[in-house]
Parts: sequence; structure tokens; C-alpha cells
Amino acid sequence: MENAIYQKDLLNQAILEMLSLSFTQFEKAMEAFSNNDADLAEEVIHKETRVNALDLKIEKDCERFLALHQPVAIDLRHVMAFLKINYELERIADHAYGISKYLVDDEELIPKKLLDAVNYKTIVETINMMFELIADAYENDNVKLARKIFKKDKILDKINANSFEILEAEIKNDIEITGKALILLSVIKKCERVGDLLKNIAEEIIFYLDAEVLKHRKKKK
Amino acid sequence: MNSIQKNRLKDQLFKIWGIACTLIGLVLLAVFIGDILIDGLRRIDWSFITNLPSRKAEKSGIYTALMGSIWILLLTTIVAFPLGVAAGVYLEEYAKKNRFSALLEINISNLAGVPSIIYGLLGLEVFVRIMGLGASVLAGALTLSLLILPIIIVATREAIKAVPQSIRDASYALGASKWQTIRNQILPASGGGILTGVILALSRAVGETAPLIVVGALAYVPFAPSNPLDEFSVLPIQIFNWISRPQHGFIENAAAAIIILLLITFVMNGIAVYFRNKWQKKWK
Amino acid sequence: MAKEMEIKMSKIKTETFNKAKKLDLVENHAARIEAKGIKVWYDDFNAIKGINMEIKPNTVTAFIGPSGCGKSTFLRLFNRMNDYVEGFRMEGKIKINGENVYKNNVNVEELRKEVGMVFQKPNPFPKSIFENVAYGLKIQGIKDKKFINERVEKALRQADLWEEVKDNLKKSALALSGGQQQRLCIARTLAVEPSIILMDEPTSALDPISTAKIEDLIFSLKEKYTVIIVTHNMQQASRISDYTAFFYIGDLIEFDKTKKIFTNPAEKQTENYITGRFG
Repeated sequence: MENAIYQKDLLNQAILEMLSLSFTQFEKAMEAFSNNDADLAEEVIHKETRVNALDLKIEKDCERFLALHQPVAIDLRHVMAFLKINYELERIADHAYGISKYLVDDEELIPKKLLDAVNYKTIVETINMMFELIADAYENDNVKLARKIFKKDKILDKINANSFEILEAEIKNDIEITGKALILLSVIKKCERVGDLLKNIAEEIIFYLDAEVLKHRKKKK
Repeated sequence: MNSIQKNRLKDQLFKIWGIACTLIGLVLLAVFIGDILIDGLRRIDWSFITNLPSRKAEKSGIYTALMGSIWILLLTTIVAFPLGVAAGVYLEEYAKKNRFSALLEINISNLAGVPSIIYGLLGLEVFVRIMGLGASVLAGALTLSLLILPIIIVATREAIKAVPQSIRDASYALGASKWQTIRNQILPASGGGILTGVILALSRAVGETAPLIVVGALAYVPFAPSNPLDEFSVLPIQIFNWISRPQHGFIENAAAAIIILLLITFVMNGIAVYFRNKWQKKWK
Repeated sequence: MAKEMEIKMSKIKTETFNKAKKLDLVENHAARIEAKGIKVWYDDFNAIKGINMEIKPNTVTAFIGPSGCGKSTFLRLFNRMNDYVEGFRMEGKIKINGENVYKNNVNVEELRKEVGMVFQKPNPFPKSIFENVAYGLKIQGIKDKKFINERVEKALRQADLWEEVKDNLKKSALALSGGQQQRLCIARTLAVEPSIILMDEPTSALDPISTAKIEDLIFSLKEKYTVIIVTHNMQQASRISDYTAFFYIGDLIEFDKTKKIFTNPAEKQTENYITGRFG
């Protein structure tokens, strides 16, 4: 039993490491994007290999844990949650990678008024808050915190929904910025997906803590 | 009557039959002991135990016979106990389990059933005549030792067999030699059973009459043995001698002597049962 | 933001798994074992057909396989307990730290002080707890009371039994529960400080809680000893062993790291056995 507990702790640690890594990657990517910091973007791209390696390691470790320790009940749900959360974190880091690639390809700065128009700051803040909620909920086994995610995700959904029209208007104003606006639109889409991924992670946490399946359920208004 | 009722009836009938059989034995024994006690109890006093036998019944005592019995008991123990236990240990632990040892086992069991007078004849020829010990306490003790040896061997073997193989395995696995295992684990564990067997065998020896008569124990001995080569008598012979006398006083003496003999037997058996119970508790 | 998370992580690293330091009581004794060309017969029956195996020190190796496959026979080769079985005959070499234990001049009693064994059914002697653990030392002729007392305490601590019995070592060993008795048997083996510990289905007669306690104990023993355990319970093998050997009708089918055997075994026979597809 002691060994099983120890091995699960190691898995837990690895997930926290993955969480920290993805968070850092995304934070840096968003900062690099708004400041046109190519060096910071390179850093994110470079670290992607580390993310992939950790992803594979966690998958293999979960497989080994299931084979050797045959967990049941909360331990089983926990390991299944590990696998899914790992997958989602890897996708988040992937999006960070994608955002950074834009910078490396295109040297010029996105105009500040465009960023303001689409509420870029709010996006960054919201996602940061969601990351924090996830980390807290996970570490403290707090289902309530996890549930707070859903409201935050709605903010992102709204911004994403509005961004199309806002950018359309901006392009009509000044045809020169079309390229930048399209890139910005793509970045906002990625942020919306990151929000969804973070929401999924929250659902996984609720699943393993409460054995309550939230997937594909209509949210109460 | 259906089969359930039939079965219940059979059950009851058997129960009643069993109780009857048991009671018959017990009742007869109780009658016998009661009779003896009535006849002999008031004859028992200190002078009865310390007097030598005499022609006058009131003056006769069991002193010499009692001493003879005690000498026999002690000498037989000294000879039969180590021999019997050692033989039992060897046969059970060391001897290879083959056709020869199986033959040996059967023969030893047979020896336990040979009529005791045959042992008397053997003792007469070997100990009294060939070895020249004469009709002495030693010769008598050696003869009785032969008699009870098979019983002790069998009891030892059974007690050792009862020690589980797992104990031996554990001892060997820790690096103990065969002798260390026997000395430290098997003998202590089987000790109670062995002791029980030895005491029961000895209590039988105390009551043996025929082989001792053949060896030459006398009916009339005016002294107690002072060394192993002295002549002797024992309680059962003394009883037999008194019963064949016509005087009523001697009948009383015989009854009293029987009570003493029974007392000795009961005490020895009681000790055996005590040890057996104590030993069984260890295995609980 | 991310910094805080890194701090949280490092906190968990140190909190996790503070192993009980009881195994620091003894030095590392573990031995290396090699088996070469092993064949075993009982009269005409060929129980083991030809096995080579190497066991590293400080590991737990599990022997698994269906009944009658030879795993117990193979286990008993290491402490020569098969010598007592009628008709036993063997070929090949068993080397412990390089020394062949079946050579003619080998003292079997010395061997068994190096290679201890714990049996399936707990078999404490009908004596006191203290006498049980001290037995192995006393038969070596050791008389120093202080030394014996120290070794007995060390052994009982390693076997995770000390706290439960320290107040009354004179109590009869038979008064202990089944799980405690088995730990006592383990302590008895540890008292002579062997380098190898053999276990023949040590928990199959015990309830789940005692089993879990003993599994934790076995897992901790590998720090200082080499452990080989025969088990019918495959989950037990997967939980506590580093290497697993799968036997089938006298042959060694596969011998590899446990995590490989249970996630992706090389032989189909092995996979059939551990998934329960065996007919």
C-alpha cells in the first residue's frame, strides 16, 4: 500500500509539473504576443519539447500504475483523471506554441488599439484566473472552486463571440490591418479553446472527487 | 413412521444402549471398590504399612512388599525410560522408511501384546541364570523393563509423530542440525506425550505379578531390599499370598493391601493425565 | 503565478514518502544469485527441465505460474530444503555471491544462515516470542545475553512487530494473531542476518489487512536483503516485485522487469497467464 501511495504521489507531482509548465508557456506566449517579444516567443517554442516529453512520461507512468497496482474507486478515478488532464494540458501548451509561432513568422507589432478593441487584457486576466482556480481546486480537492470555472469560461465565450464583428469593423476602417486582424482573430479562437480545455480539466477534477460525470450535460443557468 | 422419526428412534435407542454399557462397567467397578473399602479400610494404619509380614494376621504389614514395589519401580524407570525413549526417537527420526523399518514397527507392536509370563521365562533364563543375577530386584526390574519397553517405544513414536512437520521445517530452515532440532523442538514439544506413555507403562509394571513370580520373587520375605541384588517381594504377590490363607484376618489384610495398590495406580495415572492435559494446552 | 506553483510542487516532494527509518538498523547484506543449467528430478519425474537465472542484490523477485509448475521446487534449491525429499536429484550450479552451494564441502547449516525461509502457513515454535526470535542465534552457540537481546529487538523492529509485542516478549507465540505470527516468523529469519530471504506464498493463509502489512514489509526489506517470493496471487507480484519469473511445467517462460511483464510481456504464454486466459 505504501508503495502504491508513493507512486500515486509521484504521478500527482508530475501533473502539477505539467500544470505549471502549461501555464507558464501560455502566459509567456500571450505576453510575447502583446509586446511583440520575439525572444520570449523563442523560449516558448524551445520548451515545447519538454512539454511533449513530460506528456509521454505521464502517459507511460499512468499505464504502469494501472497495470501494477490495479486501483479501484477514488484511486482509479484519480488515475483516469490524470490521463485526461494531462492530455488537455498538453493541448493548452500546444496552443501556446501556436501563438508563439505567429510572432516568429511575423515581426511587426499588433497595434494596441486592436488589442484594446477585443479586450485582450480581459482575456489574459480571465485565463490566468482560471488557471489559478484549477491549481487551487486540484491541490485542495475543492469541488466548489472547480465549479467557478464555468462562469469564467462564459466570459471568454462572449469575448470570442464579439471579436468577429469588432475585427470586421476595424478591417473596414483600415484595410491595411487585415493581416494583423486575422492573426489576432486566430489567437482569440485559441484562447477560447484554452478556456474550454480548462473547463474540461475542471470537469475531470469534479469527476474524480465526486464521481459525478459532467460531460455533455447542459449547464444550469 | 416416516424416515425422520425412524432415525430419531434409532438415535435414542443407541444413546440408551451406550449409557447402559457404560453404566455396567462403572457399576461393577463401584461395587468392587465399595466391597474392598468395607473389608479393608479400617485395617489401614501406620503399623500396617511399617510391619513386616508375620504368621499372625494382626501383626502382618506390607512394609517389605511396599519397599519391593518401590525398588522395582525405580529400577525399571532407570532402565526402561532412557532405552525406550531413545529407541523411539531413533526409529521415528533417524531410521530410513523402508520395508525393513516397517517390519520392525509391526514387530514392536506385537511385542507389546506378548503375555507377560513369557517375559518372566525370558528373564529367568537370561537375567537370573545366564547373567547370574539370581532372584534379585535387579533381575525383576530388567525383566519388567523388557515388558514395558515396546509400550514406551510406541508411545514415544506417537508423541513425536504428533509434532507437525512445519516445526521441523522451520528449525532446519534456520540452520539447525538434526540433533539440535530434536533436542530443542521435537523433544520439548512431544515431552508431555512421552511422559504420559512412560507413566502409564510404569503403572502397569507396578501391578505385574506373573513374570516376577517366575523370576523368583518370594512370597515370604522378612526384610526390605537394601541393594539391587537382594531378594524381594512386591505388593501383588503379597496380596496373592494373603488371599490363599484361610484366616479371616488375612482377607482383611489383603483388602487393605489392594487399597494401597489401587491408590498407587490411581495416583500414577492421575499424574499422567495431568501431564497430558498440560501438554495439550500448549498446542491450543 | 507560475512561481507559486513551483513552490507548491517542491513542498509535496519532501512531504511525500517519509520511509520509516527502521531499515537503517542493519547494513546492506544482499547477495547476488546465479542459477545455471538447473535440472531437477524426483525419482523419474523431471520437475525442472533446464533453467538459467540471475537475480540482482537488493531486489524483490516474484515467481509466478500455475500449480505444479516447479516454482516452489526452484525456490527451495537456494537453501537446499529439497535435500530432505525422497528421490530428489539435481544438476547444474547455484551460485550465491559466486560460490556454488551444491559443492560437496558446503556446510548446509551455514548456508541456511545466509539464506532464510518463510513458509506459507505461519509456523512459530510453541515457545515464547523471545525464544522464537532468539532460536536461530542460540543454535549457533551464541550465549551473550546482551547481544541476543539486541538482535531480537532489531529483528522485531525490522519485521514491524516490535511495538505490538515489546511489553511482553515472554508471551507464547501461539497467542498472536495469524498476521502477527507470520511477522514473527519473518523476524525469526531476520535475527540471523541472512543475505537472502526466500518466501513461499507467505500471505496466502492471511486476511487482506495482514497481507497488506506484510507486503509493505517485503517491499521495505529489499533495501538490505535480496528477496525471492513465490506467489499464486499475480496482483501481489505486480505490487511488490521488481522482477518477475513466469514458470510453466518445469520451464522458465519469461523473466523480466515486473513493469514489462505486466504491461507488455514478450511471450504470448505469459500474457495468457496474467490476463487469466489460461484454460
